[in-house]
Amino acid sequence: MSKSKRERGLFELYQDDPERADALVFGRRTKIGRRGFVKGAGLATMGAVVGGAIPFSANMPAGLIPQALAQQAPAAGKAPAKPKTLEMQGKAGLIVLEERPLNCETPAHLLDDDVTPTANMYIRNNGIPPEPTADPDKWQITIDGEVNTPLKLTLGELKKRFANVTLKLQLECGGNGRSFFVPEARGNQWGHGAAGQPEWTGVRLRDVLNAAGLKPNAVYTAHYGADQHLSGDPKRTPLSRGVRLVKAMEQHSLIVFAMNGKPLHIMHGFPVRLVVPGWSGSASQKWLTRIWIRDKEHDGPGMTGTSYRLTNVPMVPGAKHDPKNMQILEAMPMRSLITNVADGTELPAGTRDLALRGHAWAGEKKIAAMHVSIDYGQTWTSAEVAPPVNKYAWQNWRVNLRLPSHGYFELWSRATDNAGHMQPHVAPNWNPSGYGGNPFHRVAVLVKA
Amino acid sequence: MQLPRLAAALALAVTTGAAAGALDAPEALPEGEGREETFYACTACHGFGLVAQQGMTRALWDETLTLMVERNNMQPLEEKERVLVLDYLTQAFPPRRRGRPSPFLK
Repeated sequence: MSKSKRERGLFELYQDDPERADALVFGRRTKIGRRGFVKGAGLATMGAVVGGAIPFSANMPAGLIPQALAQQAPAAGKAPAKPKTLEMQGKAGLIVLEERPLNCETPAHLLDDDVTPTANMYIRNNGIPPEPTADPDKWQITIDGEVNTPLKLTLGELKKRFANVTLKLQLECGGNGRSFFVPEARGNQWGHGAAGQPEWTGVRLRDVLNAAGLKPNAVYTAHYGADQHLSGDPKRTPLSRGVRLVKAMEQHSLIVFAMNGKPLHIMHGFPVRLVVPGWSGSASQKWLTRIWIRDKEHDGPGMTGTSYRLTNVPMVPGAKHDPKNMQILEAMPMRSLITNVADGTELPAGTRDLALRGHAWAGEKKIAAMHVSIDYGQTWTSAEVAPPVNKYAWQNWRVNLRLPSHGYFELWSRATDNAGHMQPHVAPNWNPSGYGGNPFHRVAVLVKA
Repeated sequence: MQLPRLAAALALAVTTGAAAGALDAPEALPEGEGREETFYACTACHGFGLVAQQGMTRALWDETLTLMVERNNMQPLEEKERVLVLDYLTQAFPPRRRGRPSPFLK
């Protein structure tokens, strides 16, 4: 039996019944010793499959598929999944989830930089992006609705008329982490990589809204872009989301025209977009054409039903939701990434000291602590966490670890925010479209014997 | 008993988000009645990879088809064809990730 065939078969077995799979494949009797293997053949077999000894096997929860195998998992139907890398000018190393519309995520090890290179920034589209304009400074943006003086500005005017600011702001797709929900939730099955932190240059949204003059009944924004609906119907809007006015008026919410010192890449909204940091990325409309100020919560595509909504009453995973419990997703939950060691790294024989680092962020909150485990959560080592360079920037963390032996290890990272909440082991609060899936980041490494 | 419940809650299958094959023809999909109808109904607007990444119960696929028509401008299917497509989706793309069995789902 070939190696890949064997792994796929194993994965299917685990999907059907993890505890039975443990018993059948590895002789691990989860009913006898809740966590442990039956010593001997079972453990050796599992070690052989992951390619090394498993030093902390006694702590490995029953039915838990080693991360090294999860990587091989077919995520799609019975059709074998083969991760495909995007080939596009100005982009590098992204994994394609879907081509039409184009949606690509970044492997965590390509997010190691403090400032994410444009080439490595994830791509999230709801529709078909417009053709790049030849004359970006003539691009028009309308501000209307509940304002005293509706504005029609060209991008050239916008750049000149309002103070330009440059900020490092972390941006993340609302559905980041969806693939960790059990059972599957609706939509693209993102891992942890629909996130990044470029350096953005633009003008403050509040300066522009103040120039238009907000009426007393203005409460919500509605954002529109130049992308086309997938059905090709020009009257349809693929996505139009908005935020409560207080968020739009926050000083870090920007109308952006440059990314990492250069004009925006077309996939990131060239020539102009919003960046509303800390909240679901869908609030940061690309190819921005209009901001409509409303006197009520916006109800455009992406604002209603189960779209970008969480349930405020916990529901049975996989069951039918109750529409009256669905509440708009605003701030993103915390998440942490290990970025200097790629999932599936083989480390040379004799490796015992391991310096780990990465980033963590928490929507409107701050990261107060970071912990890393090499033994399936039995013990945790505290990491050093740096403050953010500005609000809504991610925080860097680092820690030196000592591995006790050679063999297979999983590095788990866990953030704690300033409210004392921790990242959970599993994706929490199942909801039909899968928002808020923020379990630990798990990276598998193998230290050669 | 609290401990076994906790252990079961930890017993989760984990997958990566990576998924995209060349699902550019009905033949690339799992076999089953309604395969062609489903392929063409979905790919009128978007790639089939978006569908194949997912795995849902009949009720959730049903809701998805309604959503596609109401929100995303999908050409409504005739009742017979809708049932065929729904049958195929349910059969070919059921929930595949398993955690502890839910005592609340049939």
